[in-house]
Amino acid sequence: MKMKKFLAICLSAAMTMSLLSACGGAAAPAAPAADAAPAATEEAAPDEEPAAEEPAADEAASGDVEEISFMVWDDLEASEDLITKGYKDSIDRFNKDFEGKYHCTPITTNLEEYYDKLNALVAAGETPDVFIVSPGANLNDYAMTGVAAKLDDYLADGWKDTFTSDAVFAGGTYGDEGGDGAGIYAVPLNIAAACVFYNTEMFADAGAEVPKTFSELLDACQKLQDKGYTPITISAGTAWCLSMVAGYLCDRNGLNLDDIKTHKTDWKDEKVINAGKQIQELSKYFQKTAAGDDNDVATAAFYNGEAAILIQGSWAIGQINGSCAEGFADKVGVFAFPAVDGSSADPNRVIAKSDSLAMSANTQHPEAAVQLMKYFTDDTAQKYTAEVGGKIPVTNVQYDETVAPPELSYVMDVFKSASSTFGFYNESLADTEAGSTFDNCFVEIFKGEDPATALDPIEDYYEMNVWE
Amino acid sequence: MDKLMRNKKAIILFIAPALIMFTAVLFIPVCKAIYYSLCNYKINYHPKYIGIKNYVMLLTKDKTMKIAFRNSMFFMIFSIVTQLIFGLILAALLTNIKKGRNFFKNIYYLPCVLSSAALGLLWMFVFMPRLGINQMLATMGFFNGDCTLGPQWLFSTEGYIILPIWVISFVALWQYVGQSMMLYMAQISGISSDIYEASYIDGCSKRQSFFYITLPLIKPMVATAMSLNAIGSLKFFDLIYNMIPEGFLSHKADVIATHLYTQAFKFSKLGYGSAIGVILLVLCLVMTVIINKFVKTESYDM
Repeated sequence: MKMKKFLAICLSAAMTMSLLSACGGAAAPAAPAADAAPAATEEAAPDEEPAAEEPAADEAASGDVEEISFMVWDDLEASEDLITKGYKDSIDRFNKDFEGKYHCTPITTNLEEYYDKLNALVAAGETPDVFIVSPGANLNDYAMTGVAAKLDDYLADGWKDTFTSDAVFAGGTYGDEGGDGAGIYAVPLNIAAACVFYNTEMFADAGAEVPKTFSELLDACQKLQDKGYTPITISAGTAWCLSMVAGYLCDRNGLNLDDIKTHKTDWKDEKVINAGKQIQELSKYFQKTAAGDDNDVATAAFYNGEAAILIQGSWAIGQINGSCAEGFADKVGVFAFPAVDGSSADPNRVIAKSDSLAMSANTQHPEAAVQLMKYFTDDTAQKYTAEVGGKIPVTNVQYDETVAPPELSYVMDVFKSASSTFGFYNESLADTEAGSTFDNCFVEIFKGEDPATALDPIEDYYEMNVWE
Repeated sequence: MDKLMRNKKAIILFIAPALIMFTAVLFIPVCKAIYYSLCNYKINYHPKYIGIKNYVMLLTKDKTMKIAFRNSMFFMIFSIVTQLIFGLILAALLTNIKKGRNFFKNIYYLPCVLSSAALGLLWMFVFMPRLGINQMLATMGFFNGDCTLGPQWLFSTEGYIILPIWVISFVALWQYVGQSMMLYMAQISGISSDIYEASYIDGCSKRQSFFYITLPLIKPMVATAMSLNAIGSLKFFDLIYNMIPEGFLSHKADVIATHLYTQAFKFSKLGYGSAIGVILLVLCLVMTVIINKFVKTESYDM
């Protein structure tokens, strides 16, 4: 009987312990840095107060080694993307150089789910110490709610002087100038420009010329098609790819996004409708499976020689050169997105985007996190960015242009001759939902819906959430 | 036993673990979700009470919700009907074969225990425009040998119920029919052979004994299986999420659960997502009540 009672007590205790262990225990939160949690601005959320996030417990720390996490939108081990391989190299160098002092553990996920997972970690109070981010609506949310730390103080030690200019920080700077929270919230790693990549052999074979205007682009596509080539490979499945072209067409038609934001005009503006009609004209030359191909498949169709034109950001250079057959890079030419015939809009504007790093405002190891970020912008990493990855570096590093992928010099030509840059439309609108709605509208237009009605969702969204 | 049942301390002690767990992981979160559904609550912000605005928006202005509701209802009806029919057929066949019963039972049940994420990816490749079925049909001479001319299984957006929803419904049927089959088999195995023997003596054929003995006696399990199917298909998420990458179909293939996920985690609208969750909960409860009310069950001594 006593034995039974003893067993019963033991089992009850085991059950209770197992129940309690699932609840976990977080260490007492440390006070966040005073300048790291700016007040919500009117632009971010008019009548909402940001919630103070509790810092994650340093559960992984062992001994004196400071453990930090770094979240990135690709698989560092499996990816063939040369830029991703460069990121892995930077982390490896950091871990080796600071062995016994700091250690970085990457958190990887695929691009499509990146922000979902990051948001979930933020909501759970487990924001990674350092995370990669695109300047735009997402970073705005993190900067204005105290999730991302202000980096001005860390940059002031001479780090900022290593960058090409203050302009590279423009995308990561938030807050009203002079205001409490105003400052730099993200450090850029590289710049990519959205360009038109083309297969010079196919163009020569079809007798097509590099187009300067939209009608010339259609002519070139027709010649390529007549010669039996698939003129353009694009992904409408990965909506932002199509949306990038839509953004260019809206801009080339003269649309000013500020006019939309301030409701001087709306999404039914003739310029947007024209852009929609032009997407439909251009879509006659897309590969037949454009609706179902994702970005990787569509890009692969270009470097496998199945299509003549790829409209993509220059980050594709790393992807193309990491996967294409030897010698293919020599066949690739690059030109700027053509002007729209009859439009008075500036035809030399270029869509540019940078991968940037943000630091958690509640990291318990800011020094380690900043050191890690410096490894991504040091000469070794930046040289790699240009010479191997084919992206435009953001620091004053001298790189060997003869070693760099040939496509990079073409992209640099486009970039240098640009009058100004603008962001991806889906990352430049009021918020992430607006961007997603814009993407979806143009996918519907691509599928044949009348632009005037296909734009209803984005018009409705702005009516209900932005203009009111 | 009676002595134990009169001991209130013992009753409390035995009920407590389940009650605590139920309260902690289900009751409190549901109550919190109901509260959040009445708030404007975004990730990184404190919730702000706004009354029933989320519900008004959801039920009157959210076009994706209408699509998601339609797709979820289709999934539910399709699942209930097809799994009832095919689950019963498989159960009836397997209980009547002597050789290979366990082998086929395991084969049919296997997809149920596999990861839906892995299966979703697998079936996505099967239905991709340049791979799988289209390529196989092209090599057989269909579509003039060009697989890209084949049906856009996962990407067509034409029709009231779009093709991808039909495709995913069939995949879901393939995955979960084993579960219904097992439930029906368990119930059929419990029917005494005496009843069948008596029916054969009275002149019943096998077909008649199925309709007049088996079916009435497994009615309680039919109600259970239908309820499980209804709830499972209403909160259906994983296959759709994995077979149709987000943004591929402009939310035309959304169901209620994927719409919830998009709103709550992609757009950080936890309050609005909670409102969708509450509606999903209410739908599940309503369907369970309806099924239990209309599929009348009586207990027989088998």
